[in-house]
Amino acid sequence: MSLAIRQCLTILLLAVIPAIGTGVWHPKRPSWQSDEVTVAVARSWGASALWVDARADADFENGHIPGALPLNEERWDDLLPGVVDAWDPGRKIVVYCSSLSCQTSRDVARRLREEVSLPNVFVLQGGWEAWEAAQK
Amino acid sequence: MSRSSQRIIAAGIGVIFLIAGMMKVLDPAAFAVDILNYRILPWTGAVALALYLPWVEIFCGAALVLHRGYRGALCIAAGLFAMFIGAYGSTRPRGLDVACGCFGHGAHRGYWPLLIGDGLLLAATLWLLKAEFRPLSPVIRAGREERAG
Repeated sequence: MSLAIRQCLTILLLAVIPAIGTGVWHPKRPSWQSDEVTVAVARSWGASALWVDARADADFENGHIPGALPLNEERWDDLLPGVVDAWDPGRKIVVYCSSLSCQTSRDVARRLREEVSLPNVFVLQGGWEAWEAAQK
Repeated sequence: MSRSSQRIIAAGIGVIFLIAGMMKVLDPAAFAVDILNYRILPWTGAVALALYLPWVEIFCGAALVLHRGYRGALCIAAGLFAMFIGAYGSTRPRGLDVACGCFGHGAHRGYWPLLIGDGLLLAATLWLLKAEFRPLSPVIRAGREERAG
Protein backbone atom coordinates (compact mmCIF):
# COMPACT_ATOMS: atom_id res chain seq x y z
CA MET A 1 0.00 0.00 0.00
CA SER A 2 2.83 2.40 0.86
CA LEU A 3 4.32 1.74 -2.57
CA ALA A 4 1.05 2.79 -4.21
CA ILE A 5 0.94 5.99 -2.14
CA ARG A 6 4.54 6.79 -3.09
CA GLN A 7 3.77 6.22 -6.75
CA CYS A 8 0.63 8.39 -6.50
CA LEU A 9 2.59 11.23 -4.96
CA THR A 10 5.35 10.90 -7.58
CA ILE A 11 2.88 11.18 -10.46
CA LEU A 12 1.00 14.07 -8.82
CA LEU A 13 4.24 15.94 -8.11
CA LEU A 14 5.73 15.30 -11.55
CA ALA A 15 2.62 16.81 -13.13
CA VAL A 16 3.22 20.09 -11.29
CA ILE A 17 6.34 20.85 -13.34
CA PRO A 18 4.81 20.90 -16.85
CA ALA A 19 1.65 22.48 -15.40
CA ILE A 20 3.71 25.48 -14.28
CA GLY A 21 5.37 25.58 -17.69
CA THR A 22 1.96 25.54 -19.35
CA GLY A 23 0.79 28.40 -17.18
CA VAL A 24 3.85 30.48 -18.06
CA TRP A 25 4.62 29.73 -21.70
CA HIS A 26 1.61 28.11 -23.39
CA PRO A 27 0.28 30.41 -26.14
CA LYS A 28 -3.27 29.50 -25.16
CA ARG A 29 -2.79 29.73 -21.38
CA PRO A 30 -5.82 31.02 -19.51
CA SER A 31 -5.71 34.38 -17.78
CA TRP A 32 -5.98 34.29 -13.98
CA GLN A 33 -8.35 37.23 -14.21
CA SER A 34 -11.99 36.22 -14.65
CA ASP A 35 -13.78 37.77 -17.62
CA GLU A 36 -17.28 37.24 -16.22
CA VAL A 37 -19.36 40.15 -15.05
CA THR A 38 -22.72 40.20 -13.30
CA VAL A 39 -25.72 42.06 -14.65
CA ALA A 40 -25.38 44.66 -11.89
CA VAL A 41 -21.74 45.39 -12.71
CA ALA A 42 -22.34 45.53 -16.47
CA ARG A 43 -25.32 47.85 -16.01
CA SER A 44 -23.23 50.13 -13.83
CA TRP A 45 -21.02 50.74 -16.85
CA GLY A 46 -23.94 52.53 -18.51
CA ALA A 47 -23.35 53.73 -22.04
CA SER A 48 -19.75 52.55 -22.04
CA ALA A 49 -21.01 48.95 -22.20
CA LEU A 50 -21.47 47.59 -25.69
CA TRP A 51 -23.87 44.64 -25.42
CA VAL A 52 -23.33 41.79 -27.85
CA ASP A 53 -25.96 39.07 -28.23
CA ALA A 54 -24.36 35.74 -29.11
CA ARG A 55 -27.61 33.81 -29.40
CA ALA A 56 -29.22 32.63 -32.64
CA ASP A 57 -31.00 35.22 -34.80
CA ALA A 58 -34.46 33.92 -33.85
CA ASP A 59 -33.72 34.35 -30.13
CA PHE A 60 -32.40 37.85 -30.74
CA GLU A 61 -35.57 38.79 -32.61
CA ASN A 62 -37.73 37.44 -29.77
CA GLY A 63 -36.06 39.79 -27.32
CA HIS A 64 -32.69 41.20 -26.42
CA ILE A 65 -30.99 43.67 -24.11
CA PRO A 66 -31.79 47.22 -25.30
CA GLY A 67 -29.08 48.45 -27.64
CA ALA A 68 -27.49 45.00 -28.02
CA LEU A 69 -25.98 44.02 -31.33
CA PRO A 70 -26.32 40.47 -32.66
CA LEU A 71 -23.14 38.51 -33.24
CA ASN A 72 -23.41 34.75 -33.51
CA GLU A 73 -21.02 32.26 -34.99
CA GLU A 74 -23.45 31.17 -37.75
CA ARG A 75 -23.34 34.64 -39.34
CA TRP A 76 -20.03 35.83 -37.92
CA ASP A 77 -18.75 37.46 -41.11
CA ASP A 78 -22.04 39.31 -41.77
CA LEU A 79 -22.52 40.59 -38.23
CA LEU A 80 -18.97 41.37 -37.15
CA PRO A 81 -18.67 44.69 -39.04
CA GLY A 82 -21.67 46.07 -37.11
CA VAL A 83 -19.98 45.33 -33.79
CA VAL A 84 -16.61 46.69 -34.87
CA ASP A 85 -18.24 49.90 -36.15
CA ALA A 86 -20.08 50.41 -32.85
CA TRP A 87 -16.97 49.79 -30.75
CA ASP A 88 -14.56 52.50 -29.72
CA PRO A 89 -11.55 52.21 -27.39
CA GLY A 90 -13.43 53.53 -24.36
CA ARG A 91 -16.15 50.87 -24.50
CA LYS A 92 -16.38 47.54 -22.75
CA ILE A 93 -17.94 44.71 -24.72
CA VAL A 94 -20.33 42.48 -22.77
CA VAL A 95 -21.25 39.29 -24.61
CA TYR A 96 -24.21 37.22 -23.50
CA CYS A 97 -26.03 34.07 -24.51
CA SER A 98 -29.14 32.41 -23.15
CA SER A 99 -28.27 31.11 -19.68
CA LEU A 100 -25.64 30.12 -17.14
CA SER A 101 -24.70 26.94 -18.95
CA CYS A 102 -24.59 28.23 -22.52
CA GLN A 103 -21.22 28.31 -24.21
CA THR A 104 -21.68 30.61 -27.19
CA SER A 105 -21.00 33.85 -25.33
CA ARG A 106 -17.60 32.51 -24.28
CA ASP A 107 -16.81 31.39 -27.82
CA VAL A 108 -17.82 34.75 -29.28
CA ALA A 109 -15.90 36.66 -26.58
CA ARG A 110 -12.85 34.58 -27.31
CA ARG A 111 -13.02 35.20 -31.04
CA LEU A 112 -13.42 38.92 -30.44
CA ARG A 113 -10.23 38.89 -28.37
CA GLU A 114 -8.18 36.57 -30.53
CA GLU A 115 -9.34 37.24 -34.08
CA VAL A 116 -10.33 40.89 -33.83
CA SER A 117 -7.88 41.79 -31.01
CA LEU A 118 -10.52 43.77 -29.12
CA PRO A 119 -9.67 44.54 -25.48
CA ASN A 120 -12.10 44.64 -22.54
CA VAL A 121 -14.35 41.82 -23.69
CA PHE A 122 -16.49 40.36 -20.91
CA VAL A 123 -19.04 37.59 -20.59
CA LEU A 124 -22.35 38.25 -18.84
CA GLN A 125 -22.81 35.78 -16.00
CA GLY A 126 -26.13 33.99 -16.41
CA GLY A 127 -26.76 35.54 -19.83
CA TRP A 128 -30.20 36.58 -21.02
CA GLU A 129 -31.90 34.64 -18.19
CA ALA A 130 -30.01 36.66 -15.59
CA TRP A 131 -30.85 39.89 -17.39
CA GLU A 132 -34.57 39.02 -17.45
CA ALA A 133 -34.48 38.00 -13.79
CA ALA A 134 -32.86 41.34 -12.91
CA GLN A 135 -35.75 43.20 -14.60
CA LYS A 136 -38.39 41.60 -12.32
CA MET B 1 -8.22 -13.30 -15.75
CA SER B 2 -4.57 -13.53 -16.72
CA ARG B 3 -1.92 -10.90 -16.01
CA SER B 4 -1.53 -10.14 -19.71
CA SER B 5 -5.25 -9.38 -20.10
CA GLN B 6 -5.05 -7.09 -17.10
CA ARG B 7 -2.14 -5.27 -18.68
CA ILE B 8 -4.02 -4.86 -21.95
CA ILE B 9 -7.03 -3.37 -20.15
CA ALA B 10 -4.77 -1.08 -18.10
CA ALA B 11 -2.97 0.03 -21.26
CA GLY B 12 -6.34 0.76 -22.88
CA ILE B 13 -7.32 2.96 -19.94
CA GLY B 14 -3.87 4.55 -20.13
CA VAL B 15 -4.32 5.40 -23.80
CA ILE B 16 -7.69 7.03 -23.02
CA PHE B 17 -5.98 9.19 -20.39
CA LEU B 18 -3.11 10.05 -22.71
CA ILE B 19 -5.44 11.19 -25.49
CA ALA B 20 -7.72 13.07 -23.08
CA GLY B 21 -4.76 14.84 -21.46
CA MET B 22 -3.14 15.79 -24.74
CA MET B 23 -6.37 17.17 -26.18
CA LYS B 24 -6.75 19.37 -23.11
CA VAL B 25 -3.13 20.52 -23.11
CA LEU B 26 -3.61 21.88 -26.63
CA ASP B 27 -5.98 24.56 -25.36
CA PRO B 28 -5.90 25.08 -21.58
CA ALA B 29 -7.86 28.34 -21.82
CA ALA B 30 -10.80 26.54 -23.40
CA PHE B 31 -10.53 23.74 -20.84
CA ALA B 32 -10.66 26.30 -18.02
CA VAL B 33 -13.95 27.54 -19.46
CA ASP B 34 -15.26 23.98 -19.62
CA ILE B 35 -14.37 23.52 -15.93
CA LEU B 36 -15.94 26.85 -15.01
CA ASN B 37 -19.18 25.79 -16.70
CA TYR B 38 -19.57 23.04 -14.10
CA ARG B 39 -20.12 25.86 -11.58
CA ILE B 40 -18.17 24.04 -8.87
CA LEU B 41 -14.96 26.05 -8.82
CA PRO B 42 -14.35 29.79 -9.08
CA TRP B 43 -12.39 31.04 -12.09
CA THR B 44 -8.96 30.85 -10.40
CA GLY B 45 -9.65 27.26 -9.33
CA ALA B 46 -10.76 26.41 -12.85
CA VAL B 47 -7.56 27.90 -14.27
CA ALA B 48 -5.35 26.00 -11.81
CA LEU B 49 -7.14 22.75 -12.56
CA ALA B 50 -7.01 23.38 -16.32
CA LEU B 51 -3.24 23.75 -16.12
CA TYR B 52 -2.67 20.79 -13.81
CA LEU B 53 -5.25 18.09 -14.58
CA PRO B 54 -4.20 17.38 -18.20
CA TRP B 55 -0.65 16.63 -17.05
CA VAL B 56 -1.88 14.34 -14.28
CA GLU B 57 -3.85 12.49 -16.97
CA ILE B 58 -0.83 12.29 -19.26
CA PHE B 59 1.54 11.00 -16.57
CA CYS B 60 -1.09 8.63 -15.24
CA GLY B 61 -1.83 7.36 -18.76
CA ALA B 62 1.86 6.90 -19.52
CA ALA B 63 2.36 5.00 -16.26
CA LEU B 64 -0.50 2.64 -17.10
CA VAL B 65 0.73 2.04 -20.65
CA LEU B 66 4.36 1.53 -19.61
CA HIS B 67 3.44 -0.37 -16.44
CA ARG B 68 5.65 1.89 -14.34
CA GLY B 69 4.27 3.30 -11.11
CA TYR B 70 1.37 1.06 -11.96
CA ARG B 71 -0.42 0.83 -8.63
CA GLY B 72 -0.23 4.56 -8.01
CA ALA B 73 -1.49 5.26 -11.51
CA LEU B 74 -4.45 2.93 -10.98
CA CYS B 75 -5.33 4.74 -7.74
CA ILE B 76 -5.17 8.12 -9.50
CA ALA B 77 -7.19 6.83 -12.45
CA ALA B 78 -9.91 5.55 -10.11
CA GLY B 79 -9.92 8.89 -8.29
CA LEU B 80 -10.18 10.85 -11.53
CA PHE B 81 -13.05 8.73 -12.84
CA ALA B 82 -14.90 9.04 -9.52
CA MET B 83 -14.29 12.78 -9.42
CA PHE B 84 -15.57 13.21 -12.96
CA ILE B 85 -18.66 11.07 -12.38
CA GLY B 86 -19.46 13.13 -9.28
CA ALA B 87 -18.90 16.46 -11.00
CA TYR B 88 -20.64 15.64 -14.27
CA GLY B 89 -23.41 13.69 -12.55
CA SER B 90 -24.26 16.74 -10.47
CA THR B 91 -24.79 19.02 -13.48
CA ARG B 92 -28.24 17.86 -14.57
CA PRO B 93 -29.79 17.96 -11.07
CA ARG B 94 -28.45 21.54 -10.84
CA GLY B 95 -30.13 22.48 -14.14
CA LEU B 96 -26.89 22.72 -16.10
CA ASP B 97 -26.25 21.31 -19.55
CA VAL B 98 -22.49 21.44 -19.98
CA ALA B 99 -20.03 20.03 -22.46
CA CYS B 100 -17.95 17.52 -20.50
CA GLY B 101 -14.62 18.80 -21.84
CA CYS B 102 -13.24 15.27 -21.52
CA PHE B 103 -11.50 15.23 -24.89
CA GLY B 104 -11.03 18.92 -25.44
CA HIS B 105 -13.22 21.94 -25.70
CA GLY B 106 -16.89 21.47 -26.49
CA ALA B 107 -16.83 17.67 -26.49
CA HIS B 108 -20.42 16.65 -25.81
CA ARG B 109 -21.44 12.99 -25.76
CA GLY B 110 -24.71 13.16 -23.87
CA TYR B 111 -25.36 12.87 -20.16
CA TRP B 112 -26.18 9.20 -19.64
CA PRO B 113 -23.81 7.69 -22.25
CA LEU B 114 -20.98 9.63 -20.65
CA LEU B 115 -21.84 8.62 -17.10
CA ILE B 116 -22.31 4.97 -18.09
CA GLY B 117 -19.04 4.97 -20.04
CA ASP B 118 -17.12 6.47 -17.16
CA GLY B 119 -18.85 4.17 -14.70
CA LEU B 120 -17.62 1.18 -16.71
CA LEU B 121 -14.09 2.59 -16.83
CA LEU B 122 -14.18 3.18 -13.07
CA ALA B 123 -15.39 -0.39 -12.52
CA ALA B 124 -12.58 -1.74 -14.73
CA THR B 125 -10.00 0.35 -12.85
CA LEU B 126 -11.28 -0.80 -9.46
CA TRP B 127 -11.20 -4.38 -10.67
CA LEU B 128 -7.57 -3.95 -11.76
CA LEU B 129 -6.76 -2.42 -8.37
CA LYS B 130 -8.40 -5.33 -6.58
CA ALA B 131 -6.41 -7.80 -8.66
CA GLU B 132 -3.23 -5.86 -7.93
CA PHE B 133 -3.74 -5.87 -4.18
CA ARG B 134 -4.94 -9.47 -4.02
CA PRO B 135 -2.68 -11.47 -1.65
CA LEU B 136 -0.20 -13.66 -3.50
CA SER B 137 -0.59 -17.40 -3.27
CA PRO B 138 1.94 -19.05 -0.90
CA VAL B 139 3.66 -20.75 -3.88
CA ILE B 140 4.25 -17.48 -5.76
CA ARG B 141 5.33 -15.68 -2.59
CA ALA B 142 7.83 -18.42 -1.76
CA GLY B 143 9.22 -18.26 -5.31
CA ARG B 144 9.66 -14.48 -5.11
CA GLU B 145 11.31 -14.69 -1.72
CA GLU B 146 13.63 -17.33 -3.04
CA ARG B 147 14.62 -15.19 -6.04
CA ALA B 148 15.11 -12.18 -3.78
CA GLY B 149 17.54 -14.31 -1.78
